[in-house]
Amino acid sequence: MRTIARRLGLYLLTAWVAVTANFILPRLMPGNPVQTLIGKITSQVTPAEIRAIRLSFGMGFKEGIVAQYFTYLGQLFHGNLGVSITLGAPVSSILRESVPWTIGLIGVSTIVSFFVGTVAGAMLGWTRGSRFDSLIPTATFFQAIPYFFLGTVMLLIFGSDLHWFPVLGAYSQGATPGWNWSFIASVIRYGELPVISIILSSVAGWMLGMRNMMITMIGEDFVLMAVAKGLPRRKVIMHAARNAVLPSIANLSLAIGLVVSGALLVELVFNYPGVGDLLLQAVLNEDYPLIQGIFLVITFTVLAANLLADVVYLVLDPRTRSEAAV
Amino acid sequence: MSATIPREVQSTAAEGGRASTGPVRDGAIRESVLEINHFSVDYGAGENMVRAVSDVTLRLERSRVLGIAGESGSGKSTLVYAMTRLLRSPGLISGGEVILHVTDEGGAVTPVNLVTATESELRRVRWSHVSIVLQSALSALNPVLRIGREFDEVLKTHRPNLTKAQRRARAEELLRMVGLSGDRLERFPHELSGGQRQRVMIAVALALDPELVVMDEPTTALDVVTQREIIGELSTLRAQFGFAMIFITHDLSLLVELADEIAVMYAGSIVERAGARELYESPRHPYTLGLLNSFPPLHGERRELTGIPGTPPDLADPPTGCSFAPRCAFAMERCVLEKPTLVEVDDTGRSVACWLFDDASGSRVPVELSRVAPRAEAPKGGS
Repeated sequence: MRTIARRLGLYLLTAWVAVTANFILPRLMPGNPVQTLIGKITSQVTPAEIRAIRLSFGMGFKEGIVAQYFTYLGQLFHGNLGVSITLGAPVSSILRESVPWTIGLIGVSTIVSFFVGTVAGAMLGWTRGSRFDSLIPTATFFQAIPYFFLGTVMLLIFGSDLHWFPVLGAYSQGATPGWNWSFIASVIRYGELPVISIILSSVAGWMLGMRNMMITMIGEDFVLMAVAKGLPRRKVIMHAARNAVLPSIANLSLAIGLVVSGALLVELVFNYPGVGDLLLQAVLNEDYPLIQGIFLVITFTVLAANLLADVVYLVLDPRTRSEAAV
Repeated sequence: MSATIPREVQSTAAEGGRASTGPVRDGAIRESVLEINHFSVDYGAGENMVRAVSDVTLRLERSRVLGIAGESGSGKSTLVYAMTRLLRSPGLISGGEVILHVTDEGGAVTPVNLVTATESELRRVRWSHVSIVLQSALSALNPVLRIGREFDEVLKTHRPNLTKAQRRARAEELLRMVGLSGDRLERFPHELSGGQRQRVMIAVALALDPELVVMDEPTTALDVVTQREIIGELSTLRAQFGFAMIFITHDLSLLVELADEIAVMYAGSIVERAGARELYESPRHPYTLGLLNSFPPLHGERRELTGIPGTPPDLADPPTGCSFAPRCAFAMERCVLEKPTLVEVDDTGRSVACWLFDDASGSRVPVELSRVAPRAEAPKGGS
């Protein structure tokens, strides 16, 4: 437990650094959001209007940078991320709209891809040299194709031409968003093609990594011992797989950290209303509060994923539990 | 792995059910627990084939200890891995049979030819009847599992009737037998010392009370003090449970303490087989003599350590005659031309593969190799 507490402290420190950087960086950039917004307004802008805009960004008060920083931290603590310039709505509520879509789509694909790839990799490692090895070049081929191309081609073939899957969007226009069955079914139906395309493009990495670790582990004495003990084959494989999966777990944490930020291409190709799409719009419109909010979300996802991976690793690999040493 | 170990060569008809009584020793007829007949193992095939074990024939009686000695690459480990069908690719059994006499709970003895046994037959025999202890206990224990799991999975697989509490009690009992406390079950391998780990391995090996325990250099990775302790404990355990043991090592002086019989391997063949004391006191094969001169004796007067000049032969291109001839101080013309076979040379059951002891060679046996063998003493076993 002490190890976990220590890690937690480290992550809190990292989070603070990230939050502070998020405060400083926009202030180092040339120009400021108020000028950007004023530039977008085509009609004459009165000084009173400028003051109102400045106030809405929390910039109306002549505070020093330190006071601004503490105001920022206080706002952040209450979940207040400011107001989006282009959308006119609070950033937190905009994020609440789009984050679940991204986590749902990319999160599910990443997890499924991890499990499929790891199980396939374990079996391939176990039966190495058999005809199943031909799966490897096939999987590597899909990973080698640039994602936007693979996604577009799949969309064209299976969506537009064959009409096997619906195209564009996250749910059908006819469904009413909410916890009703027709909406959920529609979300799943619309999610199928993006999920399949992501799995196709990422499964080879999991598979190859797991296969190679399996082959290394099979050479270990404890696997030989498992055979010598007369254990059923399933248990022998588990002895090897239990150790072989450890590096994959570390990679999974990295992959989960990238779930939110890595979604840009997928969401563009499939016109999916997630964070990636939002980030692109925010950057194009120089919507600073929104950009800051998205960066914060990305930072915290990465940190949370890393913490999760640390905990899982502690559970799976006793050698990392330093305090348990005799 | 287990599933992929190919059964390339079917053995020459397992003579099942044959009476397996050995020669009269110690005035009693002892049953065999293991018979290895004309057993050969190759690595690779075709041009690149290397014969690592060639035409080995051995017999081990119940509750006795057979030591197999030889330097690195002599094929001693290959022999035991192949014989227990644990040999990994590209190792192949290319001939012979390995008969394990399996005693079931009712006391009935069934011979099982391990070379032709199917996967499920092997699984039934493994650990219940023949268990193995490897050189490095650190790598033989799964690093991410608690020690308790090593016992639990063996008992769960082979004794499905036991409850969780019974398995736990048995594991604690086994640990106590090797001098460790029961709380070690909660530990992970990296939390134990080298000696403790090897004790755990020995305890796991005895979990199902097997007839035969194979030890592949179990003490080589340990310091000398721990080594002595473990050898002592093994003797006690053997006296208590009466399992037979095959003990592989390159340390002949260690074997003399522990083994009843010793087989010396060189370049994949057995060059001398004799009672432990006879072999130690009066080696007959020049290689055995060389091995004995390479180690300081544990007891007795000091003697000069000479070692053996030269290196073992390349098994991919073995010499035509005796494989030891190029390094042998007593080599004759015949040694380079013809390969000697293992033949009995005296009435103690000793066999030597050396032309020096063949009357047809017309040679005189050198004085170093003709020391008088002491008469067989009382059986050792668990002293």
